[in-house]
Amino acid sequence: MEQLWITALLNRLLGGPVNALLEKLPPAFHPADPNAPISNAVAVEILVIAILLLIFIWVRSRLSVEKPGGSQHLAETLHEFITDQSDQIIGHHSEKFTPFLASLFIFILLMNLIGLIPGFESPTVTPAVPLGCAVVAFLYYNLHGIKKQGPLKFLAHFAGPVWWMAWIIFPIEIISTLARVMSLTIRLYANIFAGDMVTAAFFTLIPIGIPVIFLLLHVGVSFLQAYIFTLLVTIYLSGVVAEEH
Amino acid sequence: MSKTTAFIFVAMAVLFLAMPAFAQTPAGEAGNTAYYWALPLGAGAAIGIAAGLCGLGQGKATASAVEALARNPGARPGIFIFLLLGLALIESLALYALVIAFSIIGKLK
Repeated sequence: MEQLWITALLNRLLGGPVNALLEKLPPAFHPADPNAPISNAVAVEILVIAILLLIFIWVRSRLSVEKPGGSQHLAETLHEFITDQSDQIIGHHSEKFTPFLASLFIFILLMNLIGLIPGFESPTVTPAVPLGCAVVAFLYYNLHGIKKQGPLKFLAHFAGPVWWMAWIIFPIEIISTLARVMSLTIRLYANIFAGDMVTAAFFTLIPIGIPVIFLLLHVGVSFLQAYIFTLLVTIYLSGVVAEEH
Repeated sequence: MSKTTAFIFVAMAVLFLAMPAFAQTPAGEAGNTAYYWALPLGAGAAIGIAAGLCGLGQGKATASAVEALARNPGARPGIFIFLLLGLALIESLALYALVIAFSIIGKLK
């Protein structure tokens, strides 16, 4: 597995401790190559989190009530975007979901976009990373549903509207809920991976000029897929958290 | 023989046509690679059909979204959100077929 420069750097700095930590876990977690325990995806994810932390610290230092600067406008735009959408879909009391949804959106967006910079590779082209995001989102909305409705009512809402069809609707609903994890994962993974494949294919055909169109397409697809992921998690949240009028 | 009975017998006959599949010997390492010529055809057909039908579905969704916008230009934000959601969900079906095509091609190697 060819290493990016960031992966080689992290492996040189942290390879020893990471190996020691992984060796203590069950054999499924042992690294495939002891010289490179940190994979490309994990290294770029760590870089993305570091960049986001720097951006947040920088914006926090520039916050001001009287004279808002450009970074404050951007942060407020993102905040309003997420709160407006979750207010529209979930209804009132949706502010407590804003931190998770906004973090999800900006994390996936930056992970998708960083693949455009030469020398980096989007972590979302490995299927494990979108799976991780989908599993976290799945656990998040289910836990909030259980907390809001109580475990019994939460399970009861899988049974469907009429009680005498519940015996067949219940397994179908359970399977379709579990299929949400798969659909979120595959949608994000296949969009970004296929975009990379198509760009690579066009690079081999016409090296100059035309691949720029596919890079622009990749930018658009990154934004769209991050937005769709967040929108779908918001819709699933509204399904379990919504109050009956 | 009533119509229901005839239908049941026809259904059983069609299902029993699948019997030759059960006669397959367990494949070994040096075994049944004789069907490998069909794998690229299957992968190409899968993604071709999926992309074509996805195009039809997204065309219909876009057409009705544009028509709704023409009738009511003030509803643009709501229509836009539903359009994006619908297009992404239809697209994801074609992407499932793409993933299957990739795994078929991966089986070839």
